[in-house]
This record gives sequence, C-alpha cells and structure tokens, in this order.
Amino acid sequence: MPTNKRLILAHLWVAFLVFAAACGLGVWQMWVRSPLSAPQDAPARYYQSVTGHGVAMAYVLTTFFIMGFGYFTAETSLKAEIPAPRLAWGSFWTALAGVALTVGSIASGRADVLYTFYPPITATVWFYVGLVLVVVASWVWCGQMIAAMARFKRARPGEPVPLAMYATVANAVMWLWTTAGVTVEILFQILPAVLGWTHTIDVGLSRTLFSWTLHAIVYFWLFPAYIAFYTMAPRAAGGRLYSDTMGRLSFALFLLYSLPVGMHHLFMDPEHSTGFKFIQMSLTALVSIPTLLTVFTISASMELAGRLRGGQGLFGWIRALPWDQSMVLATGLAFFMLWFGGGGGLINMSYGMNAMVHNTAWVTAHFHLIFGGTVVIMYFAIAYEIWPSLTGRAAGSPGARRLQLWLWAVGMMVMTLPWHYLGLQGQWRRVASFDYSDPRIAAWGPWVVVSLGGGVVLLASALLFIANLAPRSSAPRLTPAPTYAFALAAHPPRSVPRALNGFALWNVLVAILMAVAYGFPLLQFFTGDAPRALIHPLSGG
Amino acid sequence: MAQPPPQPPARDRWSTWAAVTVAGLLAFSVIMGLIVLPVLQAPNAHLDAWTAICRAVGLRPGTPAQPQPLFNAKAAPVSQVRWSPATLRILAAADPRPGAALAGAVCVNCHGEDGASPSADFPHLSGQSAAAIFKQLSDFRSGARVNAQMTPVAAALTDRQLAEVAAYYSSFGTQAFMGVRYDLGDPAISRLAHRGDPARRIPPCESCHARGVGGPPEAPVLTGQHAEYLTRELNLYASGQRQNDVYRRMRDIAQRLTPEERQRLGAFYQGVR
Repeated sequence: MPTNKRLILAHLWVAFLVFAAACGLGVWQMWVRSPLSAPQDAPARYYQSVTGHGVAMAYVLTTFFIMGFGYFTAETSLKAEIPAPRLAWGSFWTALAGVALTVGSIASGRADVLYTFYPPITATVWFYVGLVLVVVASWVWCGQMIAAMARFKRARPGEPVPLAMYATVANAVMWLWTTAGVTVEILFQILPAVLGWTHTIDVGLSRTLFSWTLHAIVYFWLFPAYIAFYTMAPRAAGGRLYSDTMGRLSFALFLLYSLPVGMHHLFMDPEHSTGFKFIQMSLTALVSIPTLLTVFTISASMELAGRLRGGQGLFGWIRALPWDQSMVLATGLAFFMLWFGGGGGLINMSYGMNAMVHNTAWVTAHFHLIFGGTVVIMYFAIAYEIWPSLTGRAAGSPGARRLQLWLWAVGMMVMTLPWHYLGLQGQWRRVASFDYSDPRIAAWGPWVVVSLGGGVVLLASALLFIANLAPRSSAPRLTPAPTYAFALAAHPPRSVPRALNGFALWNVLVAILMAVAYGFPLLQFFTGDAPRALIHPLSGG
Repeated sequence: MAQPPPQPPARDRWSTWAAVTVAGLLAFSVIMGLIVLPVLQAPNAHLDAWTAICRAVGLRPGTPAQPQPLFNAKAAPVSQVRWSPATLRILAAADPRPGAALAGAVCVNCHGEDGASPSADFPHLSGQSAAAIFKQLSDFRSGARVNAQMTPVAAALTDRQLAEVAAYYSSFGTQAFMGVRYDLGDPAISRLAHRGDPARRIPPCESCHARGVGGPPEAPVLTGQHAEYLTRELNLYASGQRQNDVYRRMRDIAQRLTPEERQRLGAFYQGVR
C-alpha cells in the first residue's frame, strides 16, 4: 500500500483535470475545422487552442500521470517508501509552476507554436521556461525511481526486481535519454533565438534534435499502458501473467528501439541522406518485436484466466473473461484500437508509403488513435484500479466505469477513422480552416462533421471519468482499507539473468545505436557549410 | 508463503546474445541502407555505384533542383499588369522619397495627409500594399479601371513613378491607418470574412486580403478602409461597372453577396479605432 497517497493523488488530479479541459479544446478545434459555424472562429484562436490542447495532452497529462503512477508502483511493488518524499513534493510544485507559466503564455496569446519545437516559429521565453521546469521535475522523478530500484537491489542481492518496477525504471532511463535532444535544442538554439542573442537558426539541426526526442517521448507515454497490460490486467482477469521474462524483454527492447528511430519523422526533410533515413526506418521496424511479444503474452495470460474460469474451445475463453472488470474491458478495447493504430503506424514509418501521408491529417488521426485510444484508455483503467487503495473508496459505480470506457473507445474510433480517410484524400494537418467552397474540398465536410461527433462523445466520456473519480461522501468507505497487489507470473521468477534485472547492458547498446543512427547526421551540421535553405531568419518571439 | 532463498544470477549468456543480435540487426540495416540499396538503385538515377553510396551517406549532395521556367503567359485583357520579374524588380527598387514628393504635390488633395483620407469618397492609402496601389494606378493609366479624377493623374506618370508613390504609401507599414483591426461585433460577417460561405461558393475574404496569406499580389489590405468606399466598390463590382479584377474574382464574389452583406462587410473592415 502506498505511503505517500496525497503525493500520488496530487499528480493524478493535475493530470486528469488538465486532460478534461483539453478535451473541450479538442472538440472546439474539430468544430472550427468542420463546415459548421463555430463560436470564436478565428485562425489565431485556432493555433492558440491547438497549442494548449497539445501541451496539455502531450506534456501535462502524461508527465504528471507517469510521475504519480511511478510513485505508486515504486511504493506498492517494492513495499517501501520512495527515497525522498519531500523532494518529490518539491518537484511536483516545480512542475506545477512550469504548467502555470506555460498555460499563461498560451492564454495570453504569446505562444501559438503548437506543441512541437520547430523553429523558426518561436514563442515567448516563458513558454519554454515553463516546459523546462516540467522536464526538470520529471528528471527528479527519474532519479527517485532509479534510486528506489538500486536500494531494493542492495537490500536483496540476487532477488529479481518486481516486473512493474523494472518497467517503471526502464521508462525513467529512457526518458533521460529522450529529453537530451529537445533539451539541447531549447538551451542552445531556441532560447538564444528567443532572447535575441542570435538572428538566424539552423532549422535542419533543430528538427534533427527534436526528432531525437519526438519518437521516444511517445513510448514514454505508452509505458504505463504496457505496465498495466503485464502487471494489472492478468490479475484483474483472475489469472496470472504468462511469462515474466517476456515482460522484461519487451520493456528492455522498448528502451532500445524507441530512441534511434526519430528520423522517421523527417523522411521528407532535405537535410538528411537516404541511407540514414533507411537505417532509422529499419530500427523503427524492430519496435514491432516488443509490441508483438506483448500482444502474444497478454493474449496468453488472458487465455489462462479464461480457461481457469471455465472457458472451453478455441475462443470460448474470451467469452469467459470477466468483461465487467474495468481493467479487463479497457485492455480488450485498447488491443482493438492497437490493431488499427499500429497498422497505421506501420504505414507512417515506411519510407516509401510515408510520402503519401506525410503532413496530412492521417498523421494526426494516427496519433490520436494510438495515444488517445490505446494509451489513454489504459490511464483510465489504471486510475480505476488504484483509486480504492488511494482513497479508500471505489471510483464511481461499475456501470459508470464501463460506460465511460465504452464511450471513449467508440468516440475514438468514430473520430479517427474518417480523419484517417481525409488524410488519404490529402487533407492537410496544422491548418485552421478549409475552403469548403472549393469543390475538391467540399466533399471533406461531412466526414469532418462525423469526426466532430466522435469528439463530442469523447468529451462526454472525459467528463464522466472526472465524475467517477470525484470524491463523494455518499460512496461507501471500503473497510478494511484495500491494498493493491500486482499480477503474479504463472512461474514467478526466483532469479533472472542480470541483463533483465538492470539496465547497464541496455544503456551501452542504446549508446552504440544512437552513435550509429545520429552520429554522422548530427556531425554534418558542424563539419560542412549548411545550405542557405536551412538557415532561417527569426520571426521574433 | 516462505520464499526460497534467492539464487545468485547464473553466469548467463543473455548479455552476449543480446549484444550479438542487436549488432547483427544494426549491421544489416547499415549495409542495406548505405551500400546494397544505393548500388542497386544507382542505374535508375544514372549514377555510378560509388556516387550513389556517397549520396546515401550524405557526403555528397543530391541532384540539384531544376530551375523553373519563367512565367510568360499573356496578360488577361482586364488588366495590363502582370507580376513578371520585371514588374517585381521595379517595385522592389522603387525609392519612396520621390514618391513622397509626388504624393505631397498631387495625391494629398484628395487622399489626405500621409494617405489618411478625411472623406469616404476617397480611400485611405497609408499602409496599403505597394502591389495593390501599383496595380490600380496602372489600371487607371491603361483604362482598365475608369475614374474621372484618377485616369488623367495616372496617365501622366511612368511605371517608375507609380512604383515610387506605391512604395511611399506602403512604407507606413501595418501600424498606419490600414490594417488596424476588425469590427468583431458582427459575428455572422466575421465568419463570412474568415470562412466564406461554402453553400454559396463564396471564398473567405481573408484567403486573399489578409496580410501575408500568399493570395494574388494585387489584393489590397482592407482593414481600416472607409466603410462607404468598400461598399461602393463592391457594388460597382456586383453591377459590372468596375471590371479590372483578374479572372472576374471580385465580380463573381460581389454578385453572390447581398447588398446588405456588402454594406456590413464594409463596416466590418473599417473596424473600430
């Protein structure tokens, strides 16, 4: 049972409240893009809103949720308080101050650069200062997670680190690698530009540095969902995890293959050669290995549970699963969305096929489906799962929880499938409006309206989620106070290979892969003269 | 349940195999990306194998972009102005100082001090785009647009002088009279300006008339202009009396607008000071 419940709840509440507000912005954005008449309909407002929505969803929801869930996992799985709770509160308030600065910058109209860091468009310096504070706070969290695991290993030499904690530390280690790219970009390129110390900026270099961060950050967000698949869902289904080793291997491979792959966001960029794009594409393809390992292991775990519950035949075990459990239902819905989102991702990462979807609405639809769908639905399930042990009360009624999860999955599919289709029709991303008087564009209108309908369902689901979590005096207090236990493996490990109980080997391998994948592409910016097209004058902050 | 004492980790082969596998996959992608594919594809691009490899690595640049042919279509009969490199050179080289002298001697009588016109009979010029002023003056001179006062004035001037006057008035920039702000008190008209009306095939005014949108170069800045002037010109387009708009753009749009909308659009763009 966690010791620092208030700390964990504070993180989760910030994450979820910001999330719900950002859902409202998202609906308005889809409304503005549709042929229907929307209030406050001006392009400047649109970019402001997209910046707010993106920052809230990508940086605030995720970072706060991952930190809160990490503290929960550390204290629950290691059965010990985190190493420095006061420091954790310090990093919480630092991150919150960062969020306030960033939100203030956006609300005052001085940051409408979207949530990506692509100069020469730049925002007020406070926008970047705010985000840097959030990142610094997350580094403190990484330190706590690594220290907690080290303390456990010192106290119990040779004993396997619990899988949930191993995965959390994998995420912390990956996050430290991940943030290096964007940190260098902000410190050495964007801040000097925003402060007026430089007058031009090499956008090729800044895009390359951002690509270093851009893909691994997605896996940072994804990790909690996979932690729930491996260490929560099997137990909720009434069974056990099929293989603990498979879990460790998957998390190690995610650490390895989420980093040297970011150039697949730059397939259409002129500053890199085809060879390095190909190398990073090949490495991207390897991310499918841990994904498929997970699909296999979790399906096998669910089959174990289904058969234990009396399921018969080839597929009878699926029907026998306890679908009324929110964790089981969410896992099923997440897997369903993973097929579509993962399939779309394979198209994005293929050098050739990318050309037809690059910079279209397909890409935004893809990351809404895979992140907003598969990942965020697991955030909901995790919150429902751990809420009783944090608050002593269940989160809403079982029916309300199921309704909320179904609304989210249905809304997400209704929103993103037409959006994918529009991307294939050539609909641009990052634009505030479409000229529906153009006959070639008029046909998009009805599909955008369908997406908007999906967005409204998503907003309803988000509000129901908050209502489910909200403290209610009427909800019965659970006695005795529930404790939380992670899923056991079918064969609990008594000892594991050293490589799967720590990160020394994987860090060395990541360093080698990064040196090969990014070494020359970064070096070339410093050895040769940049083409004039890459050096942009600054538009001013 | 009593835990059995943990075993010390066996001397495992995990590290070796993990390193070998990762190195193998990395070597595969490096060899494929930097050697095999470039060499196989080199003949398609008429390259020798070594050049193809150097390009794949990024040591040598790719095929340079081909220069685009110059734009040399015949000008549409509604206007003699075409945005050829020669015209753009004249505009870019124009010196605003002689333009200021000319404006102070001639234009000031109707268009006011510094182009801030006191009467709605005459448009503001201060802060208008140089291309827009140049286009209209050229059209007055060629007869594409007719106005009893402007036609003789423009007829007496050379291309260079037109560009100088245009450069002078545009030199006031966005902080001048033009481009101040919209009147947002009329949401329906604001929507028409920003979004158009797809059902009536009316494109948004802002798709051409906002600064920096990349529309036709001659599209003038509208914000801050006299409401009566804007409404009058829209009505002239709608009735077909004014016809120096390339491709009939403004005549088609103005005809689809109701007279009341033309009037409210004028007020919207005049804005609030």
